[in-house]
Amino acid sequence: MQEGTIVSFTTIHHPPEGFPAGPRIIGLIELHDGTKVTGQLMSSDSSLIKIGQTVLPKMRLSAVNAQGLRLYDIAYEVSALHPVKTQFPGYIVALTGPSGVGKTTISLVLSTTIGKDVERVPIVTTREAKVGDEDEYRHISTEDFAHLKKENLLATSVSIPSSTEKRWYGYRTSDIEAIWAKGKIPMVITEMNLLQGLSSHFGRRSILSFGLLPPGKSKRQMLSTLLHRLRDRGRDTEKQIEDRLKNAEADLQFFTDRKELFDHLIVNDQLETVIEHLSGRVREHVQS
Amino acid sequence: MDEAITSAIENAGCTALDIDTVIVGNMLGEVTNNQAHLGAMAASLLPHHPPSLRAEAACASGSVAVHTACALLESGKAQTILVVGVEKMTDTPAGKIAHALMGAADAEKDAPSGLTFPGIFGLIAQRYMHEYGLSRDRLNIVSALHHKNAVSNPFAQFRNAIPTEKISQSPKVAEPLCMLDCSPISDGAAAVILSTKMESPMSIAASQIASDTVSITDRATLTSFAATKDAMEAALAEASLRREDIDHLELHDCFSIAAIISLEDMGFAEPGQGISLYEKVGPLSINASGGLKACGHPVAATGIKQIIDVSKQLSSSGKAYGLTQNFGGAAATCGIHIIKNTQP
Repeated sequence: MQEGTIVSFTTIHHPPEGFPAGPRIIGLIELHDGTKVTGQLMSSDSSLIKIGQTVLPKMRLSAVNAQGLRLYDIAYEVSALHPVKTQFPGYIVALTGPSGVGKTTISLVLSTTIGKDVERVPIVTTREAKVGDEDEYRHISTEDFAHLKKENLLATSVSIPSSTEKRWYGYRTSDIEAIWAKGKIPMVITEMNLLQGLSSHFGRRSILSFGLLPPGKSKRQMLSTLLHRLRDRGRDTEKQIEDRLKNAEADLQFFTDRKELFDHLIVNDQLETVIEHLSGRVREHVQS
Repeated sequence: MDEAITSAIENAGCTALDIDTVIVGNMLGEVTNNQAHLGAMAASLLPHHPPSLRAEAACASGSVAVHTACALLESGKAQTILVVGVEKMTDTPAGKIAHALMGAADAEKDAPSGLTFPGIFGLIAQRYMHEYGLSRDRLNIVSALHHKNAVSNPFAQFRNAIPTEKISQSPKVAEPLCMLDCSPISDGAAAVILSTKMESPMSIAASQIASDTVSITDRATLTSFAATKDAMEAALAEASLRREDIDHLELHDCFSIAAIISLEDMGFAEPGQGISLYEKVGPLSINASGGLKACGHPVAATGIKQIIDVSKQLSSSGKAYGLTQNFGGAAATCGIHIIKNTQP
């Protein structure tokens, strides 16, 4: 029998046939191994029953059936020793934006300006190593990635198919928690699926989320700015640039469709202003 | 059931003999009336006893019955089908009905803890309030609006307006849900005639169903229903429409919180924002009939009754498209139908 945490709970005032009359508190409980169960919640003080509270299993008489058979079931007792898990683990700074908008440059400058407060979270990936990956990526095999995922060690993951293979990307929960433990704010340079995953794993309130937009009055102008930047960068072939632009269009749409996932949308027209703005916002949160 | 069938035949302007197939949606016949075999029961109300079958998908039985009818019509197996949803619940003691309705949940994973259906939605509501900060006072607006809408609906079970603040003052059922958050136990029947042979101003532009895990313990989230999302996407694609083209909506408000989550899953509101569509009325009309809360929720009749209500709304407003969303259990089955007014 495993301990668990309360995902949700309800007080049922009219229990079904066969159960003792009167209010019965039932919880949906996430067990240690990630499976969920429903069960009666017990506590000497019902105000201790809260979402996020740790509960311990206990065999208990649940009902007596029509034939007089006494049915025992596992109920869950609120443990006074294990207080409510903190609802708010800490802030994570997230930068999201289309390819070519300047995420990498901004993050490099940020790590010098507010480097003592923030630290970059490495991306775990199954894709092949490239030059310049050292700071950003941790390369692992597809088997290792599947293992991390199965053991629930990833805060979020996404598979992005490429022409040759299925590439996996993700963030390890332990990497993020280690940065918090140092008293710093983890920073992720990320994309929409991973951002969404982080937000549901740690709670939307934990993500200090910035969307980066290329300059331009219309979507077409923005995309053309990106095209020029990608060509100037000279890292990709024309075919790759075409693919990146297609993704960029989806990314820009994402800012409108899922605007609740962003705290600030920033236009990257002048590096200095963007950096000033970003570090200002981050500092506000560090102090508060 | 007889009354619903008779008025459907009258309304369709055909005779009983035109019907070549009967489909009955029903969930609880065995429990409430010791009666199974409802397909043949309905067929025996017609003079020529056409071929018949019964569809069951808990509270989504009605829309699954209509979906089955569409499939038979498209295949050419049938040309004119009587689809009837029926439930007789009020003669059965409340404890027995509550127990029977739990048949829509997972008998091994959900029921043994003593959970009831209001209890499942109590868990969902509690979690939703936790994640999105929805207040109890704002939730009150949902049932209050449904009761207000039902005042002018002669077919509604409860035609009384209820002040918003009274909703959360009603007896507690499964906290945070109160009695007036829950759809009632009802008797009712609804019938439509679907035909590829006859003309009608109303046609079905899309009929889609989708499934999810029966037990809430197998879900990644409590605050969104994947089956609604899947059925909605498929229905819009089938009809080649966008959400904005829909003018009238009848959604499945078995509990007030379900209405809010459904609006979000159908994409009419962002996650966490569903309540805002109840706070500012229009342009989309939502549950103008009074919904399940005020019209009553005779389980299998609901999905068919929604289609009838949306059709009435379309013919009175002259708009082109209406949509119904009907789910069973905690949306382990969801049926979505888009109704097109061919004479707007």
